[in-house]
Amino acid sequence: MGPADRPLADLDERALVEACLDGKSGAFDLIVERHRRPVYLLCYRFVSNHEDASDLSQDVFLRAYRGLRSFRGQSSLGTWLYRIGVNVCLNRVSAKRPASESIEDRQFVDERSESASDRLLKDERGVRVRAAIAQLPRKQRATLVLRMYHEMSHQEIADVLGSSVGAVKANFFHALGNLKKLLGDEVF
Amino acid sequence: MHLQPDELVDVAEGTRPESSVPHLASCEVCRLQLADLKATISAAADVEVPEPSPLFWDHLSARVRDAVAAEAVPRRSFWAWPRLALPASAVAIAGVGLAILLNTGRVTTPVIAPPAPQVAVAPVELLSDPQSGGDDTALTLVAQLSSDMDFDAAREAGLAARGSAEHAVTHLNGEELRELQRLLQEELARSGA
Repeated sequence: MGPADRPLADLDERALVEACLDGKSGAFDLIVERHRRPVYLLCYRFVSNHEDASDLSQDVFLRAYRGLRSFRGQSSLGTWLYRIGVNVCLNRVSAKRPASESIEDRQFVDERSESASDRLLKDERGVRVRAAIAQLPRKQRATLVLRMYHEMSHQEIADVLGSSVGAVKANFFHALGNLKKLLGDEVF
Repeated sequence: MHLQPDELVDVAEGTRPESSVPHLASCEVCRLQLADLKATISAAADVEVPEPSPLFWDHLSARVRDAVAAEAVPRRSFWAWPRLALPASAVAIAGVGLAILLNTGRVTTPVIAPPAPQVAVAPVELLSDPQSGGDDTALTLVAQLSSDMDFDAAREAGLAARGSAEHAVTHLNGEELRELQRLLQEELARSGA
């Protein structure tokens, strides 16, 4: 059975992209389903609010769809989507001031294992840290987000940002230094 | 000399053991910097993204589906396939070359025509003057209609299909055009047109 005859759910990333390019219905839906969560989390880390993260996620997938034929499989589809996501987010954050995060944005966090006061403290600290990250210069923010929350190696980040490993490490170093200054002693 | 940012990052992330950097033992500044990096990494690592509603994911997929539905299908680009692109371009070049060759051959081959009375040879400039239709009203009309038509318009109108002799002629460079003009003049003179 060739890739064309196999169910979409059985296809690997490359074959799924080929199926999309062949106009196979549902193939891109499956790509979205597989990658929507990490893409949304990436966007949220940049903008710190649900509405913008949701809009940005849609934009990332739309751009990916438009540029699908340029995906050559040299990196994973996830890395490729991250690259689009970082570009979309950096363009947005440079055009728009970061919105302050409201309490309503903090939804559906599992609170069963922590006391209410611990949870509240952690939430407040989280809001402060996310707000501080949102104030970092664009490349520092991108580097810190990808390194801290998406477990990407320095080399992968360099590939996504189009820079060198040395530049990524320097950006990470300065991002952490600026984050400490922005947070003061309140969260340490 | 103090540690460089990349060295401090490697040690703070644990990818490089502190023991491999003897400078740390003797430098208070670098030790403090390392401690700050570790504390900030720890503080930042502890921050979660609020989990959206479970219904959100399907909602996001539906939004993307709607947005994508308004787009053209991203068909595979023919030129994205290097294996095909090279032979295709070779075929295209060969086609144009053949068209030029045929066109040139048509001009240089002596035209067998019935003997005609000797008349003055029309200057070749006539060819570039679309208004010079002479007494033939149909030719005059065509000349008038085509006078404003450039090569792009002619191509779009299908008058010079790719690979045709007309197409080849419209894509000649200045030197090739002059050569074509010379050949035409020779031919006109020889046939006594």
